[in-house]
Amino acid sequence: MAKREQVMRMSVEQPLWRALTAYRVLTMLYAVGLFATAYDEYDRPGIAIAYFAVLFVWTLATLPRVQNAVACTKRFLALDLTVALIGILLTPLVADDQHIHSGGPTLPSIWTAGSVLAFAIKGGWRWAAFASTPVAAANLIERGSPARDTVHNVILVWVASIAIGYVVEVARASERTLARALEIEAATRERERLARDIHDGVLQVLAMVQRRSVILGGEAAELGRMAGEQEVALRMLVSGGLVPVSRASEDAAQGALVRAVEAPEDDGPVDLRALLAPYAAARVSFAEPGAPVSLPAPAARELAAAVGAALDNVHRHAGEDARAWILIEDEPDEVVVTVRDDGPGIPEGRLAQAEGEGRLGVALSIRGRLRELGGSAELISVPGQGTEVELKVPKDPKTDREKDGKAERR
Amino acid sequence: MSEQGPIRVMVVDDHPMWRDAVARDLAESGFEVVATAGDGDQAVRRAKAVGPDVLVLDLNLPLKPGVQVCKELVGHNPALRVLVLSASGEHADVLEAVKSGATGYLLKSASTEELLDAVRRTAVGDPVFTPGLAGLVLGEYRRLASDPAPAAGSGEPKAPQLTDRETEVLRLVAKGLSYKQIAERLVISHRTVQNHVQNTLGKLQLHNRVELVRYAIERGLDDE
Repeated sequence: MAKREQVMRMSVEQPLWRALTAYRVLTMLYAVGLFATAYDEYDRPGIAIAYFAVLFVWTLATLPRVQNAVACTKRFLALDLTVALIGILLTPLVADDQHIHSGGPTLPSIWTAGSVLAFAIKGGWRWAAFASTPVAAANLIERGSPARDTVHNVILVWVASIAIGYVVEVARASERTLARALEIEAATRERERLARDIHDGVLQVLAMVQRRSVILGGEAAELGRMAGEQEVALRMLVSGGLVPVSRASEDAAQGALVRAVEAPEDDGPVDLRALLAPYAAARVSFAEPGAPVSLPAPAARELAAAVGAALDNVHRHAGEDARAWILIEDEPDEVVVTVRDDGPGIPEGRLAQAEGEGRLGVALSIRGRLRELGGSAELISVPGQGTEVELKVPKDPKTDREKDGKAERR
Repeated sequence: MSEQGPIRVMVVDDHPMWRDAVARDLAESGFEVVATAGDGDQAVRRAKAVGPDVLVLDLNLPLKPGVQVCKELVGHNPALRVLVLSASGEHADVLEAVKSGATGYLLKSASTEELLDAVRRTAVGDPVFTPGLAGLVLGEYRRLASDPAPAAGSGEPKAPQLTDRETEVLRLVAKGLSYKQIAERLVISHRTVQNHVQNTLGKLQLHNRVELVRYAIERGLDDE
């Protein structure tokens, strides 16, 4: 809580109070100066001098009162306003008629505004309206008639103080929002740090179970396999947070609310890694460049579907025990995803034969998907080294380089 | 490296369960486990005292992060080989450890045989790559290449680049091929494959050291 208070005082409140302090001292000196230059317009300069002495002492003595909102008590505000009002109402008693009728300044002159501004900064526009009303009334009484320039000045003080009060309120509210958002962010960071530690511990245990159960064999081996699957799933989740949660912030009255929301299905760029990471499993390795690989959402979804189809194909043709490797590469102008398995590979000639007989369903469907994206799919099979499917998608589909998806056989 | 005696290994892990299991496996297979440590500070002190050949290091350590331990110990003794054994495989950490001198990286889910093999290879200076690490290293080189060229100043180090052959080898590692399979496919010797992989790490580590020195000089820390 102390931190939030500090943030608030730092950004808006403190400069305002400082400005008010300077304003009060300067306008006090200005009021004295005005009086001195128009000394002969006053019938009873003694009273005026006495008033200025009080004003001088009061302004300097109350400097600590206008340093911040806590020191600026209601009692001080009331007394301060009283000093200003007395000054205004004393004016007709000490100055000559000429001074009053020509619209000459009141004794405290613009020092009065400082008093009203203190209300505005302390309590917002309602306080400002409350304080400027008696000032307006006193000014009208002092003048004796609703003269045009007096009414003009009165309205000016009224509107200005209310406006400043309102701005202070808005600034204060947005600062609370900011402070709240900062707090939430800090809390989230801390929670994530704790989660990382816990996840790390869980990963250790899962890896340990997997390791030991292989040695024990039998039913334990099955447990170990399950632990292994969970270990991979959790590791993918923790490493780099590849499963993003969309968050939206809302501006509530007392501060920011940040909540997870359903991500809209838009066509903006998405991180391809987040779509492919779920394919990683105990027997499927996942290699990526360690930084977001962004592609337009439709292209990324198609590519992910193609990778899924390729992995299904691996399981179908190379067996459930086949291992597979996914590699994402982020080239300057294209994204390359390779899916490799360690199956027996496709013997020379078989591919052409299968293609001729129209039995290359999966490969063709993968190639079709990629061609629609302006990319290509290549099937590479090296005897004894499994089969590789290399999927390429250009980053900018408009650069329509003629890429045909001819299968490469070696 | 002591060619005669057993390979002297130190195991650093904050989980006693793991530390003991790994130490036991290593000892049973003829390695000499000269020390173990449960936190970063302890690891640095003990490694300096006993001087192991190979450090099997977890990155997630209390008191001092594993990456920092790796930096300090390799700085202290460049002959030390570091094999990172990590549970979560967090990218930034792993890449940072590799840049600051680790030559091997293995996930904790690896089998005992894989671990023993990795320690053996690390001891003779052979880099131990997982396909995941190869993908990260490839990504790091591409990022270095796409960064804006350093400002025209003669002293600026150029970003390291991979040769076409090195890229090819690294891509095959990332696709899960063994060094033997890579050698077969590219019709080169096993030793050449190892050299290529070693070079990819060496350049990154050198670049990292040059950057650090430059940073230190810029900040006026060179007298430290």
